[in-house]
Amino acid sequence: MGNLTRRKLLIGGGALALSPLVVSRAFAQGKTIKIGALYPLTGNLASTGLDNKRGVELAVDIINGKYDLNLPLARTQGIPGLGGAKLEVVWADTKGEPKNGQAEAERVVTQDQVVGVIGAYQSSVTKTASQATERLKVPYVCSDSSSPNLTERGLRYFFRVSPHDGIFSHDQFRFLKDLETQKKQKVQTLGVLYENTEFGSNVGKEELKYAQEFGYKVVADVSYANNATDVTSEVGRLIKANPDVLLHASYITDAILFTKTFKEMGFNPKGMLTMAGYIEPGYLPAIKADGNFIIVRSTFALDLAKKKPLVGQVAGLFKKKYGIDFSENAARSFMAPFVLAEAISRAKSTQAEAIVKALRETNIPGDQVIYPWKGIQFDPKTQQNVHATGTLVQIQDQQYVTVWPFESAAKDVVWPFPAWKSRK
Amino acid sequence: MTGVPTFTKRQVSISAAVLVLLALYPLAVRGSFPMHLMIMVFMFAMLGVAWNIMGGYAGMFSFGQAAFFGIGAYTSSFLLTAYHVNPWIGLLAGGVVAALAAALIGIPCSNLRGHYFAIASIAFAEIVRIHFNNWKLIGAAEGLTIPMQDESLRSFMFHSSKAPYYYIMLGFLILSLGVCSWVATSRMGFYLRAIKESHDVAKVLGIDVVRYRMAAIMISAFLTAMAGTFYAQYILYLDPESVLILPISVQIVLVAMLGGAGSVMGPVIGAAILLPISEVTRVKLGFKGSGLDMIIYGTLIMLISVYQPQGVWGLLQKIGRKNK
Amino acid sequence: MADQLLQQIVNSLLIGSVYALVAIGLTLIWGVMNVLNFAHGDFLMVGMFIAFWCYTLFKMDPIFSIPVCAAVLFLLGLGIYRFIISKVMKGPGLAQLVVTFGISIFLANLAVMLWTPDFRLIEKPLLSGTWSLGSVQLSIPKFAASVGSVVVSAGVLLFLKKTRTGKAILAVEMNRDAALLMGINTERINSLSFGLGSALVGIAGAFLSMYYYIHPQVGGLFGLISFCIVALGGFGSIEGAFIAGILIGLVQTLGGYFFDPAYKYALVFLVYLITVWIRPQGLMG
Repeated sequence: MGNLTRRKLLIGGGALALSPLVVSRAFAQGKTIKIGALYPLTGNLASTGLDNKRGVELAVDIINGKYDLNLPLARTQGIPGLGGAKLEVVWADTKGEPKNGQAEAERVVTQDQVVGVIGAYQSSVTKTASQATERLKVPYVCSDSSSPNLTERGLRYFFRVSPHDGIFSHDQFRFLKDLETQKKQKVQTLGVLYENTEFGSNVGKEELKYAQEFGYKVVADVSYANNATDVTSEVGRLIKANPDVLLHASYITDAILFTKTFKEMGFNPKGMLTMAGYIEPGYLPAIKADGNFIIVRSTFALDLAKKKPLVGQVAGLFKKKYGIDFSENAARSFMAPFVLAEAISRAKSTQAEAIVKALRETNIPGDQVIYPWKGIQFDPKTQQNVHATGTLVQIQDQQYVTVWPFESAAKDVVWPFPAWKSRK
Repeated sequence: MTGVPTFTKRQVSISAAVLVLLALYPLAVRGSFPMHLMIMVFMFAMLGVAWNIMGGYAGMFSFGQAAFFGIGAYTSSFLLTAYHVNPWIGLLAGGVVAALAAALIGIPCSNLRGHYFAIASIAFAEIVRIHFNNWKLIGAAEGLTIPMQDESLRSFMFHSSKAPYYYIMLGFLILSLGVCSWVATSRMGFYLRAIKESHDVAKVLGIDVVRYRMAAIMISAFLTAMAGTFYAQYILYLDPESVLILPISVQIVLVAMLGGAGSVMGPVIGAAILLPISEVTRVKLGFKGSGLDMIIYGTLIMLISVYQPQGVWGLLQKIGRKNK
Repeated sequence: MADQLLQQIVNSLLIGSVYALVAIGLTLIWGVMNVLNFAHGDFLMVGMFIAFWCYTLFKMDPIFSIPVCAAVLFLLGLGIYRFIISKVMKGPGLAQLVVTFGISIFLANLAVMLWTPDFRLIEKPLLSGTWSLGSVQLSIPKFAASVGSVVVSAGVLLFLKKTRTGKAILAVEMNRDAALLMGINTERINSLSFGLGSALVGIAGAFLSMYYYIHPQVGGLFGLISFCIVALGGFGSIEGAFIAGILIGLVQTLGGYFFDPAYKYALVFLVYLITVWIRPQGLMG
């Protein structure tokens, strides 16, 4: 009996020792799983692209390493469903051009054999890149492009984790209504200001739509070139129209220029609800105290840490690794690698169809994401995360403070907008 | 007289050999990037050849070709998405619209020379871009998406392989080379060169300067628009930022100049050199975000302009003459 | 409110005069040696960055950086003329046009490599704030930039008309061959003019840095507009460039205000095209 046992042990032990080899050979890719990341790493939006890159790199670090964080795959090394295989990112520079979006998506899929793609920040680039991945039947998980129509195209391989501009615009109007009912501040007229590339004009369209739905009167509808040398005409029109509230969708350069011109020409609406540019990391350092009291839509804010310690932990890791604050852009791109890797792990496969099926079944609970969402679950038709919502933050004392929804606000919103001249 | 093309037997046989190699290329390569690269080379070569007709030959240095490229792309795409017009018909329609736009801008600009013309062309292209960016009918800033259809030659759309796109673009390129060659060797070409040498002398000699300049501009615009339609059917999405911007116009000029403005094959050589450099440096160096690839590109442009302004074609001719 | 009309006109003049200064440098170079410097906008960018670094590293306010910007850009212009431009002068016209595009791409991306693509702003310039003059809010930095531009432009005109070197430059502008025959060293005048033209746009950069954001691609639109201004005013004419600058400022601002801000630059380009059609040599060419 003892001999048999020892032989069994030897065979069993030998089999155990060899099994990892067997297991890993079953997966053609070996020890690393590659995903493609498309971002504008050079060109006009390079500074944003590099921000996105930082978010992705931190995510991959957490996935590959062992971290005591309540994030999917953080507590294990690599992708557990594939025997701990490490995630590797193949970077692609889109230079911000849609044709490069297509070319780079094709390149990373056909040449580098990535099992999935993330990116690309600019909606026009994401559009062509995801068209390419659809043709090539490879999953695409986007957590940083906000054009609503990305999830209205009926694509089967494209998933979006983050809110889109339709949701953000709707938020702004829900805020105005809440302001009326809960804070007794009435608003009647609106000015809609937006830069005239795809992002801004989409937002403008959504805002005009909701204005009608919610019954507000739009007294100014102004679109402009985001690289304008001077915005006197635009602000002049706004002053003349005198709206109660200004809605502004901009990039960072125009956000800076407009803020300065608002102050200079004395434009004092009761409130300013803005998007994108005002929450870029470069905005506050440039504009300093003049940014105060402006409200920006956000998926993420550092003060979420008060209600969700996970946010503080991640922000701390980011600050340690890069020496700068965890920004909204980096925070947006941060989530996509987790969603993709988690699906790959559940699918236990690198086959596209299996991953896509797993993605459709994604159900990440709210406490495992760094945003105030109920979780991540994709709508069966549009494949948009149904729980993706935004919040509104207000710049107070040169910090972004969550002010809405009122229930999860860190501080009270300051309303109305204190006039420029009355400030020190 | 310089620049009058004649085709020797040797040139013809070399061209035939090159053509055979190009035809076999898709069978020899793997992966989408090499195919995409060659398609871009062909497309920019065609754009450079089209530019040459008015720039290299007639001396009208247009820095606004993107306007015609965009007009072509938008015309066929709009007709397709709004009225289900077949893209091949849209292709011709785009060419016609672009030619008409060229005629329209040609009238006030027909008397402008050199740098004045260049700036006017930039101004024109910017007006087109700004207008299209705000024109709701054709999608304004959101652009147009070409809906996915089953792949076929008729629908001008292919999914399973890039080879059909490759051959179509090659065909377009050969067509434009033929047109350019015809222009160059015909009486029109003769007159255009005379006009380029001296506007005033040509006028005195009784050459209808305006008519020939207009013809050159319109032919150039037509071909450029054709490439625009191809782009739309290839990328399946267009917006003003991708087809109507100044960098596209500049790249077209660079392709023509690097290869040799005023020669039929020049732009082909120019595209064959410039496109791989810009694509490869982007892939290899771009992701670092340092801008190194563009620095190399800019330096290259300066070097060519200073040391070899006649382009590669000029260099080849110099060598050819030396060897005689 | 008729208020806004006055405000818009005032602001037109403010932006127009800075445009004018940018254009004057360009037209000087064109007038003297027939070279259209497509990198002119990027020279402006370099000027702005120099002012920024003087502020950040040496705590120098942009007003005091003006001579530094002028000097550095003067040397940059001289260098670019000596080593690049002079070599293409004998070549075909196309090469002369294209080489400056190469310089433009090179400078813009060198800036990205050296200074990153981030946006900078001089946060606390000495001249800041607004004066309320009735219904018009006058931005102090913009006003200073505008006054400065006028003063510098006038200075350039005086230099050209009254000094020997200046007159030599004008002579070369008028008739190169005749000037050569008169014993003027045209090659020296070339490099001097290129340097001077660059210095002027460097000064404009210092002025703009008082209120505009700074980044490697900032030169693009300013450069494009300055080409139109130069052509509108008449290549080579300083007075023409100044008047055209103010005109374009008015078209842009008033056009944007009354018609549609989204189209304001299209209006600028349209005005240029129409003028050049009616009068190809520009207003004062």
